[in-house]
Amino acid sequence: MLDLIIRFSPLVLVLVGAAAVMLADAFSDKGQSNDLSTVTFWAFVGASGGAIGLWVQGDTMALHPLVAPFLAADPMALLLDAVIAGAGAITALLAGAYLREHQMERGEYYVVMLLAAFGAMVLVHSTHLLSVFVGLETMSLGVYSLAAFRRTSPRSVEGAMKYFLLGSFAAALLLFGMALLYGATGEMELAAIATALVEGSAHNTLALLGTALITAGLAFKVGAVPFHMWSPDVYEGAATSVTAFMAVVVKVAAFTVWVRIAVVALSAANLADPFSGWPPLVMGLAVASMLVGNLSALVQTNVKRMLAYSSIAHAGYIMVGFVAYAHSAAGGDEGAGDQALSAMLLYLASYAASSLLVFGSLIWAGSKGKEVVSYEDLKGLGRRHPWIGVAMMVGALSLMGFPPTAGFIGKYYLFQSAVNVGDGLIPLVIFAVLASAVGAFYYLKLIVVMYMEDQEQEAAQAVPMRSVHLWAAIGLAAYFVFRIGIAPGNYMEIAIGAARAL
Amino acid sequence: MSSWILTALIAIPLVGALFLAGAPRKNEGLFRWGSLAFMAVNLVLSISLLSSSWETPGLRYVVDIPWIEQFGIAYKVGLDGISLWLVLLTTLLTPVALFASWLSVNQRIKEFAIAFLALESAMIGTFVALDLFLFYVFWELMLVPMYLIVGVWGGKDKIYAALKFFLYTMVGSLLMLVAILYVGSQYHALTGIYSFDLQDLSRVALPYSSQIWLFSAFALAFAIKVPMFPFHTWLPDAHTQAPTGGSVILAAVMLKLGTYGFLRFAMPMFPLAAHYLGPTIAAIAIIGIIYGAFCAWMQKDVKKLVAYSSVSHLGFVMLGIFSLNASGVSGAILQMVNHGISTGALFILVGVIYDRRHTRLLSDFGGLAAVMPLYAVLFVITSMSSIGLPGTNGFIGEFMILAGTFASNALQPWSRIFVLCAATGVILAAIYMLHAVLKMFWGPVTHEANKALKDINLKEGLALAPLMLLVFWIGLFPNHFLKPMESTVEQYLARYQSKLVEINRDDSLRLLPPELASGAAAPIDEEAEQQAEQQAAARKPSGDHYVVGALEAGSHTVSATAR
Repeated sequence: MLDLIIRFSPLVLVLVGAAAVMLADAFSDKGQSNDLSTVTFWAFVGASGGAIGLWVQGDTMALHPLVAPFLAADPMALLLDAVIAGAGAITALLAGAYLREHQMERGEYYVVMLLAAFGAMVLVHSTHLLSVFVGLETMSLGVYSLAAFRRTSPRSVEGAMKYFLLGSFAAALLLFGMALLYGATGEMELAAIATALVEGSAHNTLALLGTALITAGLAFKVGAVPFHMWSPDVYEGAATSVTAFMAVVVKVAAFTVWVRIAVVALSAANLADPFSGWPPLVMGLAVASMLVGNLSALVQTNVKRMLAYSSIAHAGYIMVGFVAYAHSAAGGDEGAGDQALSAMLLYLASYAASSLLVFGSLIWAGSKGKEVVSYEDLKGLGRRHPWIGVAMMVGALSLMGFPPTAGFIGKYYLFQSAVNVGDGLIPLVIFAVLASAVGAFYYLKLIVVMYMEDQEQEAAQAVPMRSVHLWAAIGLAAYFVFRIGIAPGNYMEIAIGAARAL
Repeated sequence: MSSWILTALIAIPLVGALFLAGAPRKNEGLFRWGSLAFMAVNLVLSISLLSSSWETPGLRYVVDIPWIEQFGIAYKVGLDGISLWLVLLTTLLTPVALFASWLSVNQRIKEFAIAFLALESAMIGTFVALDLFLFYVFWELMLVPMYLIVGVWGGKDKIYAALKFFLYTMVGSLLMLVAILYVGSQYHALTGIYSFDLQDLSRVALPYSSQIWLFSAFALAFAIKVPMFPFHTWLPDAHTQAPTGGSVILAAVMLKLGTYGFLRFAMPMFPLAAHYLGPTIAAIAIIGIIYGAFCAWMQKDVKKLVAYSSVSHLGFVMLGIFSLNASGVSGAILQMVNHGISTGALFILVGVIYDRRHTRLLSDFGGLAAVMPLYAVLFVITSMSSIGLPGTNGFIGEFMILAGTFASNALQPWSRIFVLCAATGVILAAIYMLHAVLKMFWGPVTHEANKALKDINLKEGLALAPLMLLVFWIGLFPNHFLKPMESTVEQYLARYQSKLVEINRDDSLRLLPPELASGAAAPIDEEAEQQAEQQAAARKPSGDHYVVGALEAGSHTVSATAR
């Protein structure tokens, strides 16, 4: 039993953190949320440290039979634990600054956030359709309520409502897909499903239909076109600290479980030919996401909406890696397949760091009474507050994929792995780089308004907030943006290790 | 130890930028003089590069340390006779441009100084990078400071111009990135290891069909930067909106990165494609020469006129490069430097008059020679250098390019026609430049505001002095500048030819022997070196002028049979 607790120490620590925050909130006076944010931060740091420790230790303890079919503690799960907990730690700091400044501090925020992160971590450990669904719902319910956290704001409630309704619909699709897959194979464990599909005992049409439905359900969670309708409204309506959490943690967890299902359960049967099964679906989703995401982001006036569409576009880039994996797996090239998977993982990590930096800077720029949400609010910011300007610019350049930041390495690695597959994917890569050139335009617009335009005199100027929590969060995010951007070597190694073990 | 000079050249401006970023904003003088001090150290350091023995070809000051080992990406820098003058041009022109900027830039001094230092670092990095990944990183890094310089300190339509500049360049370079990745993955397929080292990647012999695509991707990125017709439309916008210092750097150094890219990467890596597309590119270059000249002639704004003249002049450089003989290529490299000097000086001169009159329209001037005699003298000298009057630097470069094109085997059977058309460009250059000089300086002073204009002052004179010196130095003693690149160009062309012959014989995907690779460090194997020396000695009549000797070059050119 102790083995089990050690093996799952990241999850356990997050749960313990949630319990501790709940208790602390019950026994403390109101208005102490800053301390709760610190507790949450350390819980996440502990979880992240636990995951890293387990990775370093690297032995393969047999799992307790209680969880064995449901959860795995493999390198990939540990890596993603570290990413999710790290992102959780930074968003906890952001929330500590943001909620206090805008007087929304309530202890339950941190409890819900920890529990949602717990759900996300269960998700990345899942090796069974049941635990996938439980993890997904735990995460989603937490995020739904976080999205509605700013309950006095109609936009926040509207966004959360949309998210909840559409999310439930997507969950139904996913569940239906799982049911069909179970019906087709008689199995719910991912590895067993693969065996059933390979042995030919499965009902192929049902399995294919199930695959399509599961793909649709997960595409909703990562915000891929055409299942993206919710994201701009939710991103815009939710409190910015929630948006940051959602943009990063949900996307990372959903992509991971998608990879796991596609690679472990559905690969063997479908990948004899890269143009059957889920790969063509994913390719379609990738192209649509890059196209619609980038073009829609161009015309936004609200920065958070722009970032929502840009995150859709990023989902599209990540799926290029997915397609690359499918092609190399079909070609029997395992090395290239691992590389494609690890490229997706690294891209997720770099996307997380750069998004957190941009959202952090947005939070930083505003204070009580005047939040920064539109391009209008950002005008002249770079001149009035150079440090915020620099932080935002670095974040934007990283999302754009500009050296020497994490975003560039992420894109480079992703596109390299797609090119390595062979000539077949070159058109897709060219499409992706052209799409990111379109993307450059709206990220540059951030820099344009910050540095090259002046605010009208009469307009109310946002005053930046002052908070040690926030500065710590920005510092951490910036560190990772440059760390991955300048010396990505060992991160690549870790990502490859995770992909190889899958 | 000396091999770290190039790294120091990249690092010093960067350290300067970080140092100034931490300095308190109040002290303006610190930013103005501090930034120049860092650049001055760089200039002195770069001059010490000349001390190397440039009689032998090959790369020197090579530093090669692994960066991202999983993909064989290395920090590899080095210098040869091709990049030598371009690095020196950068270290000279950047402080000159910054010094000239300090005469007119009064806002956000701190950021301006930081942007300029970062820009210098990235430009030097691009010229010395020998790893394609590293090259791409520097190539992209260069964009941001320039984007900010145009967009923050620029004129009325600065945002439009800055965005256009950024996006044009970015589209081209992203496609180049895909091409780089493709060659890298082909190398991996052949050898099982990754590398982005030019020396390794240039050993990959690619089939004709992929070479065409890859060369096109590289060529697009570089052609946008040069800029070649029809990708030049960002240039007049960027130039007219940029502040004086930005225009100087843009014209004097950044455009050279495009032509340099052709020479360093696109042609040695894909010689077969370069061979078949060469005449087409040369033809486009000639269209650019004539089109740019006509556009310049029609301009009412003198800064735009200079901008379009750049399109025209860089057409000459491209023509020289694709003539693929010693005279043409050396002339092209020299002309890159010449253009940097004369156009840089022209932009500074235009900035001087703009600061006084706040207009750049030709019609607003007239008779300035009477009011500002010294200014007029400098402007006329610079114009002459731009036109290519004998005795000035422009003459040497253009003459060598035209001579090289005339004798070019690579451009057969059109070389004579090309020379004829390109020579028209020289005449047109005289027409538009003299037209501008006429409108600005001769005749009566028609505008009241022009009567009280002050002549050029000491600081402005100081900024222009080194450029004026170089106009005549290169013009009268071109061998001082041609000698160091001579052996490198010889070797470059010999390698290009043998690689072309080898791939033309068999264009299947394979790894060529190491001696056909580009970017090898000096000393290379002695036999080839001796051969190159003998060839050079045999080709050059004793004691004769290099230009004349170069005319007979290209005898070893092989014309591949048409496909």
